[in-house]
Amino acid sequence: MNQLIIGALLLLVLALPPVRHLLESIMIVHMHMQMPLLVVAGFLTAKYMQEKLPGFFKKWNRNGLPGILLFVIIMVYWTLPRTMDEALTVPAVEIFKYVSLPFLAGVPLRDSWKKLSVSGKNTVFTGFTMLFFGMGWLYIKSPEQLCNNYLLVEQLTLGWGFVTMAVCMVVYLVYKALVDPSEYE
Amino acid sequence: MFKDWHTLLACSVVLLFGFVLFYLGTDGFQAYTAETARVNQLITDQPEFPDVVLEDSNGRSYHVSELQGSYVFITFMYTSCGTVCPILEMNMAQVYRAVPERYIGEEIIFLSISFDPERDDPATLDKYKEHFGADGDTWRMARINNQEELEKLLSTFGVIVIPDDSGNFAHNSAFYFVDPQGMLIDVMDYTDVNNAAERVISTLQKEEGEDR
Repeated sequence: MNQLIIGALLLLVLALPPVRHLLESIMIVHMHMQMPLLVVAGFLTAKYMQEKLPGFFKKWNRNGLPGILLFVIIMVYWTLPRTMDEALTVPAVEIFKYVSLPFLAGVPLRDSWKKLSVSGKNTVFTGFTMLFFGMGWLYIKSPEQLCNNYLLVEQLTLGWGFVTMAVCMVVYLVYKALVDPSEYE
Repeated sequence: MFKDWHTLLACSVVLLFGFVLFYLGTDGFQAYTAETARVNQLITDQPEFPDVVLEDSNGRSYHVSELQGSYVFITFMYTSCGTVCPILEMNMAQVYRAVPERYIGEEIIFLSISFDPERDDPATLDKYKEHFGADGDTWRMARINNQEELEKLLSTFGVIVIPDDSGNFAHNSAFYFVDPQGMLIDVMDYTDVNNAAERVISTLQKEEGEDR
C-alpha cells in the first residue's frame, strides 16, 4: 500500500506542469530522467495491482514473456527521436507517454522480472546494452538535428548519455558473469 | 515455451499492439524523426503562403502576394548564422545557376527570408546577398518586420527556430517551392542540389509546355 502511494505521488509530481516543463527542457533529462522515473512510478504501483488482480497476472503473464515483450516495445518506442519531439508538440502523445511508461512498461517489468530465468534476464540486459550503444551512436554520429525541439549540442549530450549507460550495463554484465556472490557470503 | 495458450495469446496481442504502435507512430514506418514527418505532411497538405509584408535588400516593401504568377523558391535563414545558413544559401545559389536563364525572374523568383528582422536590415541583407551572387531582383533577400506575420509564416511552413544563449538560432532547413498560385508544392532536401534543380527545371518546362 505504501508503494502504491509513493508511486502515485511520484506520477502526480511528474505530471505537474512546472516539473514537466523543467524536465523536458533538457533533452537528456527528458529521456534519461523523466522517462525512467515514469517507469519507476508504475513499478511501484505494480505491487498493489498484483495483489488486486493476482489471477490476471498469473494467467496472462505466467512465465513473464508477454510482460517483458510489452516493456521492451514501449521502451524502444520512446527512444525514437520522433516520439520525443511529438511528446512536446502533440498533447495526445504526451498523455500516452504518461500512461504507457508507468502502466505498460513499469507494471509489466515488475511482474515479469522475477519470473524470468537467468538467461532471460541476461538476454534483456544484453539487448538493451546493444540498443543503447546503437542509439548513442545514432545521436552522436547523426550530422543532422534529429529532434526539432532540441539543439544539436543537446543531442550530442544525449548520445554520450546513452553510451555511458551502455558502458555501465556492460560492467554489470561482466560482473554478473565473473563474480559469484555466494563466495562472499 | 508456449505450452499454455494464454501465454501464446498474450504474446501475440503484445506483438500486434507493438506493430500497430510503431506503424502509427512512424506513419507506416516512413518517418522516424519529426522532421521527416513534418516534410511529408507539408507535401500532402500544400498550405498556402500566408500574406506577409516583405522588406527586401533594396528597401522595397511589398505583400508577398505580389510575387504570385511566378514560382517562388524559398529558404529561411539569418545573416549572422555561421553554420548551416551559408551552406543553405550556397546550395541555393547552385540551384539558381542551374535553372536556365530564360526562366529566371520571369517564371521563377528566388527568395531568402530572414527570421532575424532585428539584425537583418536592408543594408545587411544587401551586403549578404553579394556572397552568393544574388542580384536582389530575381533572387531577393528580405525580412518580415511584423513579428505576428513572421510567426504565422514559420508555423505554416513548419520552420522551427530556437534561439540559443549566444544570439544564434537553431533551425531546420529545407528548400521550399511555391507555385504561381501561392501554394507550397514541395519541400526539398537542401543538401541534394541536383535533385532540387531537376525538380524545379522540370516543373518550369512542364508549365512552358502547357502555355504553348
